This record gives sequence, structure tokens and C-alpha cells, in this order.
Amino acid sequence: MSQWMTLFQKEIIEMWRNFKWIWVPITFILLGVKEPLTSYYLPQIIKSVGGLPEGAVFEIPTPTAGAVLASGLSQYSTIGVLVIVLGTMGIIAGERKSGVAAMILVKPVSYLSYVTSKWAGSLLLVWISLFIGYLSTWYYTGQLFDWVPIGEFFQSFVLYGLWLTLIVTVTVFFSSALLSPGVAGFISLALALAVSILSGALSHLLEWSPSQLTSYAGALLTAGELPDDTLPASLVALVIILIFLLFSVFVFKRKELAS
Amino acid sequence: MSLIQIKGLKKSFQGNEVIKGLDFVLEKGKCIALLGPNGAGKTTTLRMLSGLMKPTAGSISFSDAKKDGDIRHLIGYLPQFPVFYDWMSGFEFLQYVGKLAGLTSKEAKERSLELLEQVGISDAKNRRVGKYSGGMKQRLGIAQAIIHRPQLVMLDEPVSALDPFGRREVLELLEGLKKETTILFSTHILNDAEEVCDEILFLHNGEIVESGTMVELRERHQQAKIDLIFRKKTEEMESTFRNNHLTKSILIDGNRISVFVTDVETARKEFLKLISNKDWQLDKFEISSMTLEDVFMKVVGK
Repeated sequence: MSQWMTLFQKEIIEMWRNFKWIWVPITFILLGVKEPLTSYYLPQIIKSVGGLPEGAVFEIPTPTAGAVLASGLSQYSTIGVLVIVLGTMGIIAGERKSGVAAMILVKPVSYLSYVTSKWAGSLLLVWISLFIGYLSTWYYTGQLFDWVPIGEFFQSFVLYGLWLTLIVTVTVFFSSALLSPGVAGFISLALALAVSILSGALSHLLEWSPSQLTSYAGALLTAGELPDDTLPASLVALVIILIFLLFSVFVFKRKELAS
Repeated sequence: MSLIQIKGLKKSFQGNEVIKGLDFVLEKGKCIALLGPNGAGKTTTLRMLSGLMKPTAGSISFSDAKKDGDIRHLIGYLPQFPVFYDWMSGFEFLQYVGKLAGLTSKEAKERSLELLEQVGISDAKNRRVGKYSGGMKQRLGIAQAIIHRPQLVMLDEPVSALDPFGRREVLELLEGLKKETTILFSTHILNDAEEVCDEILFLHNGEIVESGTMVELRERHQQAKIDLIFRKKTEEMESTFRNNHLTKSILIDGNRISVFVTDVETARKEFLKLISNKDWQLDKFEISSMTLEDVFMKVVGK
């Protein structure tokens, strides 16, 4: 356990020294704040930019607070995912490529601890960033529109966090299976995109698909209650996370560290 | 006491056999040099011994391995091009690695300070490793390899990348280390091997072509050789020595004539007499013993 903590601490310090603790939360805050602000100021923006023909009447319905929050949240499944994948793809592949992994793992370090400490470090960053970012969305939405109940905020936060955890885990897996951070990132993104599109298109067939968690979180905010399929989808997500994590360790262990 | 036994060790890359069956035993407390030209398979051998690479065939058995075969607590390894976390300082890296190897925070700290002193980089201990010079990285690499006092320290070309001063210092470091642990280090520089090591393993094209202690090797390959350097070498000198009844063979290199003889003592008297009779201007007369380099050339050349 103390070895795991040593590895984990190193991850946290590394992310501090390379400023990930600064730019990832800031990106998430910017993404999160953008939505309530633009929704609120859209009529003024259109007016001041002009370009509408004289006399045109253009009514923009004021969105509900829940809808604003939901669309703010959806930012994280596009640009947010991109940021996460880019930040995580080199986590193992990069160390192996540079050779520092061989320096570390020639010491009596458990492979399980090596992989899981990195995974846990990335997750901590993602959950904290998501929390800060989403909290600022919630705050601005409350200030400009209406306050969404804090319970709904937390529930949708956890559902989204679960989906992003899955993204992190898949990226860690490809980072441990492949030698190139770029390829690992590309495959992870492609996979996340494919799953999202597929589950979106076949939503009536794939209700338990983990990518549906994002739409269930949105449904909770707009309709006020969770769809029935939330629980199976969450369980499926947890199982997939566990499987990918174990596979990451397994695949990594079988690799030769020097080639 | 044998520390590690290697039997029939082989390694192929895409059907290309790089290591063609090594058998050897490393004794505790010895310093062994793995010597060979570039591409002989030195790095591959060390990587297999350290567990970073899996052998295609053969076995490596450590006498003190754990039940599951893990040997990493027993060894320290320095790759040819050590890599560190550039954002850590040298002191931080040593403490990190020390803790990973099972030292407590306090032990790791004390041991790191001690090693930084020992390898001579304590002035730079708080500098980021990214700013270290090649020589400093090499020293830090040695320090991290021995931080957990392993039974066997393997160093891959520890001095090849260093300038003469750095080389000198690292060799002295190894000299001191010899008292504490078993050392296996690879090099293509013969002098280095000769200077620090008790035993030598000659690796050539993935095979051990010769091995033994320095003394054994010398005895086995001893050849009487007389080096003569003249102010100005002439054809006559060449043919005189070539046709002398004591001569086995000669080598000409500029103004130097190296004569391999059957009997050094007789040859010395006779050659000196001959030279003074002819009144040849002799600059240097040397009876040379076989150096490791000669053994190396001989072994590799066959």
C-alpha cells in the first residue's frame, strides 16, 4: 500500500509540475460557463451584431434552467472528452517510449500498482475538474436563470463522472497496450465517438449502453427524473471499467519493457 | 557461492538469433566485465538478466529468487541511456526510487543523500534532472541502481558516454562498489574491463568466445612479442627480421616492427647484437606482454 501511495503521489506531483492541475480545471470551467452566459446574452448579442432585416420579429424563447444546465454538461462529452484523452493518452505509453518505465519497473514495483496509481491519478484530476467546471455552470445558471435543485446537480454530476471514468479507463488501456501515445489517443477517441453515435442511433436497442449515461443525465435535468435504464447503464459502465482496468494491467505485464 | 546461473540463454528477434546460447555462472562478490564489440549482444544479455526482456530459450536462475520468480529486489540495473523524470530533482528521484524499492521515507532520504555524496553530484541534488549533463545523469543512474543495496548490479556501458575525467571517476566508483556487491558491467573498452574487473566474458556475435580471469587469459594467450621502433625503417631490416630463425611472424606498422618470437630471452640478446652490429638507429626496444586488446583482436578475429 505504501508503494501504491508513493506512485500515486508522484502522479499528483507530476500533474502539478506540468500544470495539468491548472489548465484542465480552467478548460472545464470555461466550457461550463460558456453555455449559461451565451444562452442568457444571446438576444443582446444578436441585437448588437445586427444583420436582421428591418422589422423582423425574432422571438428567442428563454430556455429553462434545466435545459441550460444539460446543454452545458453536454460540452464535456465533446471537448471535455478530447481534453481528457489528450491528457491521458501518454500516461503509460509515454513512459514506456522514453524508457523511464523500464527504470522504474526494474525495481520491485508491482505492475498492478503502477497501472492503477496512474489510473487513479487521472481520475482524481478528471473528477475534480468536472466538479469545479460543472459547479460553475450550475452557479451561473442559477444566477442568470433559475436554481436547479442541488440533488439533481449531484446526480447528473455522478452520471457524467462515470462516463468520463470509462473514457479515462479506455485511454489508459490503449496507452498500456500500444507504444505510441498518439495512436492510443486516436483509438480511444474513435471508440468513444463510435459508441456514442451507435448508442444514439440505436437508443431503443442500447438503453444500457454507458454512453447513454450522458443523455440520462440530461433527461434528469430537463424532465426532472431519471429514466429507468440509468441503473443498468451505470452497472454496465462499472463492469466495463473494471474489465478494461484489469486488462490494462494484464496487457502491460506481458509486454517487454525494452525492445 | 554462485549468485546466478545462466543456461542455454537464447534470444531471437524476428527469427534473427542475436544471442546463440550462453552458459555461465556469476560468483558472489566478483566484478565481471561483459566485453565485446558493438552488436555482440551485450545489451540484450543484460536486459534478459534484468527481466526487461524475455529469453527465447534457456534459463536464468538466481539462487535467492522469490517463489514466484521475481528477482527485482536482488538486482540493480543501469541502462545504457538512463532516463529519468525530467521534472524531478536528482534528490527527489533517488528518494522516489528508494521508496519504491521498499525503503521507508526516512531511510530513502538518508540513503539518497549518502549516494549523492558518493557519486559526486550532491551540489546538484536540488536541480531538475532535465538540466543535468550526460555525466551527471550517468552518476545518478549508478546511484539509483544501488540504492536498495542489491546483490547484483548490472551496468550497461556505464563509462562509454563519458569524457576521460568522468570515466576515471566512475571507474573509481566501481572500484569502491566492488567491495559491497557483485558487479556485471558491459563495455567495449578493453582498458576499462582490465582496470576494474577480476573476470571477463568475451561476447562476440551472440556467443561467449572466451572467458576467465585476467591472469588466466594472459596465460592462455601469452605470446612473446618484441616491438622495435627505428628512426628510419629500411627494407633490409624487414627482411632480416622476417628471415631470422627465431621469428614466428612479424607485423609492420610505419617505423615499428613487431616480431613474434619463439624464445624471448635468446631473441633479445640476438636482436640487440644484430642491431648494434648493423648500426641501425633504434628508438625503442620493448618486450611486450599480451594486452587485453591483443586477446580481443585474436579472439574476435578467428
